[in-house]
Amino acid sequence: MKRWRAASLAAAVALALSGCGGTGGGSSGNSGNDKGELLVWVDNTRTPAAQQYKKAHPDLKIRIVTIPPDAGYVPTKVSLANRTKRGWPDVVFLTNPAEAATLASEKFGYAAPLDGLVPKSVRDGFAPGSLDTCTFGGETYCLRNDIAPTVLWYDTSLMKEYGYQVPKTWADYQRTGLKAAEEHPGTIVGAINGKYGAGTYFGSSGCPTRDTLSLTKVHIDLTRSSCTRVADLLQPMAEKKAVTTVVPTDPAFAKLGKENKILMLPGPAWFGDFMFGPAFKIPKGRIAAAPMPTWPGETKSYAGQVGGGAFLVSAHAGDRTKEAADLVRWMTTDATLQADQPTYPAFTAAAQKWGEAKAKDPYYAADPMPALTAAANALRPGFGAVRFEADWQASFNDTVGKAADSGADLRKTLASWQDKLEAAAKTSEYSVG
Amino acid sequence: MKTLTAARPTAAEPVPRAKPRPRRHKGRTTAVWILVGPYALFLAVFGLAPAGYALWTSLVHDGSFSGGRNWAAVLDDYRLGEAAQNVTTYLLIWLPVLLLTVLSLAFTLHARPGRVTGALQLVYYLPGAVTGSAAALLWLFMVSPDSSPFGPLLKLMDVKTATDALSGGSLITVLAVMGVAVHAGGWIVVLYGALTALPRDVLEAAQVDGASAWRTMWHIKLPLVRTYVAFVLISSFASGSQVFVEPTVLSTGAPGQISPTWSVNQLAYVYATQDGDFGKAAALSLAMLAVGLLAAWIVISRTGMYATDSTKAG
Repeated sequence: MKRWRAASLAAAVALALSGCGGTGGGSSGNSGNDKGELLVWVDNTRTPAAQQYKKAHPDLKIRIVTIPPDAGYVPTKVSLANRTKRGWPDVVFLTNPAEAATLASEKFGYAAPLDGLVPKSVRDGFAPGSLDTCTFGGETYCLRNDIAPTVLWYDTSLMKEYGYQVPKTWADYQRTGLKAAEEHPGTIVGAINGKYGAGTYFGSSGCPTRDTLSLTKVHIDLTRSSCTRVADLLQPMAEKKAVTTVVPTDPAFAKLGKENKILMLPGPAWFGDFMFGPAFKIPKGRIAAAPMPTWPGETKSYAGQVGGGAFLVSAHAGDRTKEAADLVRWMTTDATLQADQPTYPAFTAAAQKWGEAKAKDPYYAADPMPALTAAANALRPGFGAVRFEADWQASFNDTVGKAADSGADLRKTLASWQDKLEAAAKTSEYSVG
Repeated sequence: MKTLTAARPTAAEPVPRAKPRPRRHKGRTTAVWILVGPYALFLAVFGLAPAGYALWTSLVHDGSFSGGRNWAAVLDDYRLGEAAQNVTTYLLIWLPVLLLTVLSLAFTLHARPGRVTGALQLVYYLPGAVTGSAAALLWLFMVSPDSSPFGPLLKLMDVKTATDALSGGSLITVLAVMGVAVHAGGWIVVLYGALTALPRDVLEAAQVDGASAWRTMWHIKLPLVRTYVAFVLISSFASGSQVFVEPTVLSTGAPGQISPTWSVNQLAYVYATQDGDFGKAAALSLAMLAVGLLAAWIVISRTGMYATDSTKAG
C-alpha cells in the first residue's frame, strides 16, 4: 500500500513536471528573451509612447505588450516567470509603484538597480524625493514616470458664495470645514478612505506608516506627534461629517459634486483632470488648487502622495540591459513626450513643459501650476514603497475609517492601526523598527 | 485493494449456468472503461497530478525539503483566521439561501410548465454569464443606492453609499447575494432537468390520489431528486469555501475597499503571486482541498448518493 502510494505520487509529480515543461515552450508568448527582443510591458496609456520609441529605433528589436493596470498584475506574472525561469519582461511599467518593493525583494529578485545604468545627473533631475519610492537601502530600483503630490483643491465659486478664505494652516482648514458643515449641511472638505485618506493627511504630516529603511526594514510609529496631530485634526471634522469616509471613486461621492457639496478636497494632482470634471461633474471655471495647509510648527507646506507610476528594468535582461535602461530613461525624462502625458511628470524639466499647457486649461478657475509645482517640490519624506500596500489601505479603513464613522476616539484607534500595520509588515518579511 | 480488483472475475468464473453472462459482462467492462477512461485520465492529469505536485511543493522551501515548515507558517498567519471567519460566515448565509432559491425556483418551474419556462431558465442563468470587469462595474452600481434599482432596499438596510455596502458586515451580504445570483441559474437548469426525468406514473398516481402540488413536491419529488440536491450541496460547498471570484471582482471595481486576503483562497493566491511563496500557497490549497473532500464524504455517506438498485438491495 505504502509503496503503491509512493509510486503513484512519483508518477504524478513526473507527470506534472513534464506537463509544465511541455506547455511552457510555445504558448507562453513572452519568449522575447530567446529571440533577442527587448520585451516591454506597458499599460494602455503608456503604449503609444513605447511605440514612438520603437519607431525612433528601427535597428532595435522591440516587442511591446499592453498589460492591464490592475494592482498585483505585474508581481503575479513575474512570480510565474520566476517559477518557470523564463518569460520575464525586460522593461515593465508599474501603475502601482509600491510593487517595486515586491519586485526588488530578494525573493522576487526581478528589479535591477539602476544606479550604474542611469547617470546621477539624470536621476537628480527628478522631483526631489520622488525617487524615494524606488530607493531601498541606498539603491534606486525604478524611475518614476509620474507623481501624484497632493494639493488643496477647492471650489472658488462656493468659497466666494459662502464668504470663506482658502486656509493656509490645518487649524484654519479645520475651522473652515466645521463652519461649512454647520452653515451648509452636507458640505464636505475632505475624504478619509484608504490611500486617499492615509496618503493625503498622514502622508503630508510625515506620519511614519510606511517609512521603508531598506527592503527588509520598515519604520512604523503611530505614537509620533506627526500622527496624533492628524487624528486631532480629523476628530471634530469626522464627528460633524465635514470629512467623509466615502471613497472618491464611489458614485455617491460624484453625487456630492453634482449637489455642490464639495467645498474643498485635499487630494492628488490627478484629481484636477480626472475627478472634478469627469466624475464629480463640476462645471469649468470653478476648481482651483492651493498648496496643502501647513502643520503646526512648520512654515513649509508638505505634500502627501496618492498614486503615480514607475518604470523598472529586469535583472534578467542580460545584454539588453543597456537598451532597456535607455528606453526607461527616455520614457520618463523626454520633455516633449512627457508634456503630452495625462498625469504630472516626475521629471522636473518635463513637468515644466507639461505645465505650460495646463496653465492655460480653461477648466480651472485659476492656473493650478504654481500649487502643483510647489507640491511636487515638497513631497514629505518617509512615504516609501511597501509590500503590504493593500493591507496598508485596508487596515486604515478598518481602524481610522471605522472610528471616524462611529464617532470613536481617533487618537486611540491609531494603536490598533499600528498593530495591524506591524502584523502586515511582518508577514511581508519586514522587521519593524 | 489488490484482492478487490482481482476478486471479480474469479467470482464470476465458477458460475457455470450463466453462459451468455460472461460475454455480456465482458462487453460491459469494456464499455465501463471507455466511459470512465476519459474521466480517469482528466482526473489524473488535472486533479491528482497537480495535487501531488502541490504536496511536494508544500514540503519544499528554497529548494530543499523542509517538512511542515510551510504548513506551520500558513497556520500561524494572522490573515488565515480572519479569512476563515469570513468564509464561514459567507457559507452560513450563502449556502442555505442558494439551496432554497434553487429548489423553490426549480420546483415552481416544474409545477407550472409552460412556454415561459425555457425563457425563465435563461433569465436565471444570465447573471452568471456576466464576468470580469463588466461584472465588477455592474455590481458596483447594484450596490450604489443612488444608481441601483434596489436603492430603497439598500437604504432600508442603512447602506447609503457603495463604500458602506463594501465595508463591515454588509460586504458579506453583498457577496452572498452576488454568489446566489451567479450560481443559482446553472443549478436551476440541472435540478429542473432532474425533475423532468422523474417517472410520470408516480406523479400521475399522486395526482389521482388527490395529492396537492405542495405534498407532491414535499413527499414525492424532493425524495426522488435527493441525490441531485446532495450534488448541488457538495459542489456549492466546495465552490463556496473556495470563494474567490466575487470578492476579487468587487475589489477591481472598488480598489482598496476589500482586503485582498478576504477569503482563504485569495490568501493562497496572494501567497503565490504577491509574496512569491508557492510553498505556502500549495499548503493552504491542499488544506482547502481536504476541507472540501471531508464535506463531500459526509454528504455522500449520509445521502447514499452513489447507491444503485443493487447496492440498495444488498
